[in-house]
Amino acid sequence: MEFQHFAEHRLQEIALLFMAIVYTLRLIWLFKFKAGKERQPKTGLPGTSMKKGILYSWANIFMPWAMESTRAKFFIYLQFALFHIGVTLAIALSFIIPYAPTVLEIPLVVMLLQIFIGLACIIGVLRIIRRAGGKYMRAISTPDDYFSLILLTVWFFFATLSVPNKGGTIQLVYFLLTAFFLIYVPFSKISHYLYYPFTRYYFGKTMGFRGTYPIRHVPPPRA
Amino acid sequence: MVKNMAKNNQRSHKAQVVLERFEKKLNRQIVGSLVACVHCGNCTDCCHYVLANPGDTSFAPAYKADQIRKIFKRHFDWTGRVFPWWVKARSVYTDEDLETLQDIVFGKCTNCRRCSVNCPMGVDYATFNRMARGLLVSVGIMPEGVAVVSKDQWEIGNQMGVLKEDYIETLEWLSEELEMEMNDPEAVIPIDKEDADIIYTINPREIKYDPRTISDAARIFYQARENWTMPSEGWDMTNFGLFSGDDDLGGAVARRVYEATRKLRAKKLVMSECGHGYRSTRCEGPNWAKDDIEFEMESSVITMLDYVKSGRIKVDKSKNDSSYTFHDSCNNARSCGLFEEPRELLQIVVGDFREMYPNRCENYCCTGGGGAMSMSEYSARRLKSAQIKAEQLKATGAKYVVTSCHNCVDGLTDLIKHYKLDMKVTQLVNLVANALVEERRGVPVPEVPVEVKPAISLSGKKILVTDDEPDFLTFLTAVLEDNGASVLTATSGDEAIKLARVEKPDLITLDLHMPGKSGIETFEILRKNDDTSSIPVCVITGKPEMRKLIYDRAVIPPEGYVDKPVDEEGILVNVRKTLEVVHKS
Repeated sequence: MEFQHFAEHRLQEIALLFMAIVYTLRLIWLFKFKAGKERQPKTGLPGTSMKKGILYSWANIFMPWAMESTRAKFFIYLQFALFHIGVTLAIALSFIIPYAPTVLEIPLVVMLLQIFIGLACIIGVLRIIRRAGGKYMRAISTPDDYFSLILLTVWFFFATLSVPNKGGTIQLVYFLLTAFFLIYVPFSKISHYLYYPFTRYYFGKTMGFRGTYPIRHVPPPRA
Repeated sequence: MVKNMAKNNQRSHKAQVVLERFEKKLNRQIVGSLVACVHCGNCTDCCHYVLANPGDTSFAPAYKADQIRKIFKRHFDWTGRVFPWWVKARSVYTDEDLETLQDIVFGKCTNCRRCSVNCPMGVDYATFNRMARGLLVSVGIMPEGVAVVSKDQWEIGNQMGVLKEDYIETLEWLSEELEMEMNDPEAVIPIDKEDADIIYTINPREIKYDPRTISDAARIFYQARENWTMPSEGWDMTNFGLFSGDDDLGGAVARRVYEATRKLRAKKLVMSECGHGYRSTRCEGPNWAKDDIEFEMESSVITMLDYVKSGRIKVDKSKNDSSYTFHDSCNNARSCGLFEEPRELLQIVVGDFREMYPNRCENYCCTGGGGAMSMSEYSARRLKSAQIKAEQLKATGAKYVVTSCHNCVDGLTDLIKHYKLDMKVTQLVNLVANALVEERRGVPVPEVPVEVKPAISLSGKKILVTDDEPDFLTFLTAVLEDNGASVLTATSGDEAIKLARVEKPDLITLDLHMPGKSGIETFEILRKNDDTSSIPVCVITGKPEMRKLIYDRAVIPPEGYVDKPVDEEGILVNVRKTLEVVHKS
């Protein structure tokens, strides 16, 4: 019981602090590289701008119709969306259990959390199969890619079972996994969300300034 | 950090230099792109190389990017430095490692940026692929064609090695033709005119084997009563620095054009239809040259559209009575946002426009981009990957594909021939000029008979065509015979020498790359033999990198030179020009 309390509180706080420090160092490292300067005058149609390009670029992830790669593979996009909703909820759960356990006394909340985190777990399995089974995916995958995906999928599994907040071994494993996850994340591909705002900012800035963003998709007329 | 690695591992000098320069090339955008990839695989199906080579994972954009990324991870990223195997980080050690990388960055990617706009993370692979090209070029590892073209642009000032006198002579010749056609002494191509409203810069390909695009542009400027000029220096707005990744070359070339504009005090710099030239001069050049440009720069597409919309020129679309589709150059559309203006202009000058799908910044590369047309070692791979573009073209059912890029003209012409499509390539400048409702401003002077200089006729001319490719031999023979020439053919150097001695033709066309005696050896023998030394030679080759070799010989250089692929009109213009030069001399 004492160890369970430690795992849910102090261990999480230490892991979070560690992650925050490492992330801060990572951002300092990233900002040590100079940002490229755009000297040229703007190109593109009137109405396109750097600012619009940046906003479009950031919002891109919520617009599956914007890119051919997500437009053409909507099921993959849907998996992506549900998987990341699952991540957000499983992280939230690690705060709800120790700091706001009464929320989990509402049956609807428990049910919704279990549905979404459970779905994310199933999608995790699908993603493992896709990564290991596809020739192209195997060619581009590293041990870190496989491990991160398996780690998250197992974490989802224990998170789903921990939602009712009944304590016990499963919940303990969930919190231990969460602590490991927080420590491992900055060194793995999972840290991509730290870079996402920057890569999309710079790409959107360039493409907006040059009039490519927002993308003009002109599909063939319907027969 | 890199130096410590070198102590522990045997590393070639070139590999060591690449690593040291890698660090200096990194900026925040590139580092972001190198660390952010999650290997989601969404980019895979966006690449024309992947689509045309199913099952070959080495063409997948993420895989190609990882060949650069793994070096970054090994030296600059903490996980890769401590546990390289965990993230597949690996350094480069030998020259062979660098050559393998060359095959990826030059031979398997045209830097078209299609994967970049399809990456959910905003990873701009094309940008760091160009950086990797630049690193390899800095240690001399690059395709031969890239080396030759870069050298020409550094030393001669343009990427096709056109000498100043040839450039000026061609402009004067075109100017005379325009003056005669318009019967107006004001219908000229002004060279180095100061304080013009427009300075017009071109692709050296136009001088070399597509001078009609220059005369078409001149006719349009004349009809628009434009106050324009062409510079005698700094006229090449193309920039091989974009393809080779060499920012120093990029800056030097761009600077030449900017300096020419300033020297002549022109108000606006207009670039002819060339995708990479437009991107290099208009967008990237100021960054490479570290020059904050104070004058306006625009594509000739926008200039022509402005003329039509403002009523400065009048056009009759019924003059372009075939069916037309439009191919977006990657550099114009994806990297500079130039995709609506060409369509608007096209629909004004043609009656039957058919859209191609996908289009605009989602269009597929012509497969000749990124300097691929100068890398003959990858031609087979390029043409195979062109299958996607060929299918796109075919689906339109159009008879003409219009493009605002000279590189695309060559790439598309090549793939049209390869896939036997019933289609021709043209540019907006040709269509606008053809649709012009011309106003004859010249004052006829009946008392003074105007000497009309006819184009040199091929009728009665005996031409020896030398090429080992049967298809090309047939094509060239047909073109020349249709225009009245009597054609002899040879498929090897020995045969050509023998026929030349016996038949004494008026002109010899010579392929450079032939089995047995090469075109270069054949050319030298022809020049050194008294019986054949005075016969003009027009080199027609698909190996542009061999141009330097032939001009380096201690004999009189060939009278004509044409790069393959070449169309009927290009052949005739160059053959006539070669005969005309000889006739004059």
